[in-house]
Amino acid sequence: MKKTTTTSLLAVLAIAGLLCFSTALQAQKASTLSDPEIASVAVTANQIDIDYAQLALKTSKNAEVINFAKTMTNDHKAVIAQAVALVTKLKVTPQSNSLTEKLLADAAATRKQLQTNKGRAFDKAYINNEVAYHKAVIGVVESKLIPEAGNAELKALLQNVLPALRTHLAHAEMTQKMIQ
Amino acid sequence: MALASCIGLCSLLLLTSGCGQANEKRVPQLFEVEISQMQFKPAVLMVQPGDTIRFINHDMVPHDITEQTAKTWSSGPLQPQQSWMHVANQSDDYYCSLHQVMKGKILIE
Repeated sequence: MKKTTTTSLLAVLAIAGLLCFSTALQAQKASTLSDPEIASVAVTANQIDIDYAQLALKTSKNAEVINFAKTMTNDHKAVIAQAVALVTKLKVTPQSNSLTEKLLADAAATRKQLQTNKGRAFDKAYINNEVAYHKAVIGVVESKLIPEAGNAELKALLQNVLPALRTHLAHAEMTQKMIQ
Repeated sequence: MALASCIGLCSLLLLTSGCGQANEKRVPQLFEVEISQMQFKPAVLMVQPGDTIRFINHDMVPHDITEQTAKTWSSGPLQPQQSWMHVANQSDDYYCSLHQVMKGKILIE
């Protein structure tokens, strides 16, 4: 009963996180993001998933979850490296904004909740959150970051990241089925 | 006598050239599979035994190429722009063990 309650709570949290993300997106829709703001959102979104993965690597004993978390760490680090190389080349300084701040605040709350779990409960909670998070990030990249990116190279980078995000989502959903 | 020798020599030459063509081996060929946008391209590659396949990673993230059923061969992680050669002697299904939804197939003709 306790495990079911925790899993249900985390499912609610994931949905709440998605709603918060959507709410922040709605608020941000009124104003277009600048390229420095887009760069900040992109780097932050990637770093958040690295942080989730690091928590999973510390906590999980499940081989599938560990394999997934290692891939998230490596891939999102590679994307950040590309983003940093580009902003350096363009002499752009990523600029924090309300969407960045909302992402960070929600991530802190999610990590705190994940940390209350261990064993199978943690594995399910982590993967459920990864499915929800990747869906939310894909939505933001498609509907906001790419359309609003002014610089062609920044737009191309975001477009090139989308296939990786979709593959991550598919991998998370596959892992979710394996550990149910 | 000289004519008979000449005819005999010519016959021998014709015979051995015919045998040579029958025994001539196909030179193994080189094929390329590009890894980009989280896909193996082409996803299905038809080759002949002994052909070499060069996998090249054009993505921004690492990938590998691993035989799927029994993990009999694997490239190990390929960083962006790295490549790996595999000599194909049998049909195999393969995948990227880092992104397990990425799959490909080698078919031997």
